[in-house]
Amino acid sequence: MSTPPRKRVALVIGAGSVKCAAALGLWKVLKREGIGLDLVVGCSGGSIYAASMALGYDADEVEAMTIAMWNRDVTKRRDYASLLGAFLPKLFRFRGHFGMVHGERVFAALRKGYGDRTFADTVMPLFVVATELATGQQATLASGRIVDAVRASIAIPYIWEPWAVDGKLMLDGCLSAPLPVDVAIKEGADVILAMGFESPYPRRIRSATSYAFHVNSIYTNNLFRANYSFHNLAHHAEILPIVPDFGESVNLFDTHKFAHVIACGAQAAEEQLPYLKQLLAEPSASSAETARAP
Amino acid sequence: MDIIVEQRTPTTIVRITGSVDGLTADTLMATLQQQIDAGNTRLIADLSGVSYTSSAGLRALLATVKQARSAGGDFRLASVMPAVHKVLEMSGFTTILKLYPDVELAIASFPA
Repeated sequence: MSTPPRKRVALVIGAGSVKCAAALGLWKVLKREGIGLDLVVGCSGGSIYAASMALGYDADEVEAMTIAMWNRDVTKRRDYASLLGAFLPKLFRFRGHFGMVHGERVFAALRKGYGDRTFADTVMPLFVVATELATGQQATLASGRIVDAVRASIAIPYIWEPWAVDGKLMLDGCLSAPLPVDVAIKEGADVILAMGFESPYPRRIRSATSYAFHVNSIYTNNLFRANYSFHNLAHHAEILPIVPDFGESVNLFDTHKFAHVIACGAQAAEEQLPYLKQLLAEPSASSAETARAP
Repeated sequence: MDIIVEQRTPTTIVRITGSVDGLTADTLMATLQQQIDAGNTRLIADLSGVSYTSSAGLRALLATVKQARSAGGDFRLASVMPAVHKVLEMSGFTTILKLYPDVELAIASFPA
């Protein structure tokens, strides 16, 4: 008698800046329990953690890497050329897009973390989601340099310029798929651990930047719910929402809250662990045909 | 998961305790379907004892609300715990399902 196929487990880490570090807490729990992942998907801030996990770093290494990569330095330099082009297009050429913050520092920070490693260097399949500027289509990146994919995936509109991947300009993945569960469904995952975050709204809007963030949050939160609803109904097996309760606001550069965020992620994972174990102990209903596409 | 069905004519209260997930959704759906088949289409789920729902649970809730409404009734939720409410909100279900703070208010929401 043949053994029924093992359930394929995917982790999907949605957009959420520093909150995405909660995935490290989840990951620690999975490792302790010996629960392996078959693939990992990341979007925006989630792509930073997904990529690091896929490259085989452990949770502590990823935490240290992220603290080194992600801090206020990456937003300190304004992109005046881009701003002048946007607001005085007759005097300065408008490039068809703009960003208020110069992208050089964030790219250098990501490069420090990922170097020139490619998707072929990962220890498990990795998918990074960005959004094509020209068409608005969701782009699932799974080849080439990881640093380019992550840079594209975190290209927050109006803040950073889009990033070119394979000749196409890409914006933040949260514009098309804030929690890209669909990628895991398409890649044949049975059990999908979905860690997603809605964007917080600032209490007061004091600058053009916070206004831009606020408007982005409105779009992406509505998209998040619409997509998540469809994915829940479309999936043949289980999507487990892993939703940490942080008990306080966690903002874009609150890296000093990493330990708390990671602990909340671990707590949320512990709560789902008994069910996850039961689920994985059951034979898979899906056939081997759902195995990963080459 | 434990399910207790209580008739409060013209409504039917289904008190659920435990998780509504892939391991329990079929049992829940069968119970709710039985009630609809018996003509008890004004259904209220008391979720005060439910701490978690997954995609399978959401599919069960949606199937039930569609069946109840098709049969001229409705399926309404009462006493939804914060963790479940969060998932219902994330998945857009709060826009299509009627939620009430407690069972009594849910009962009162149906026309006499």
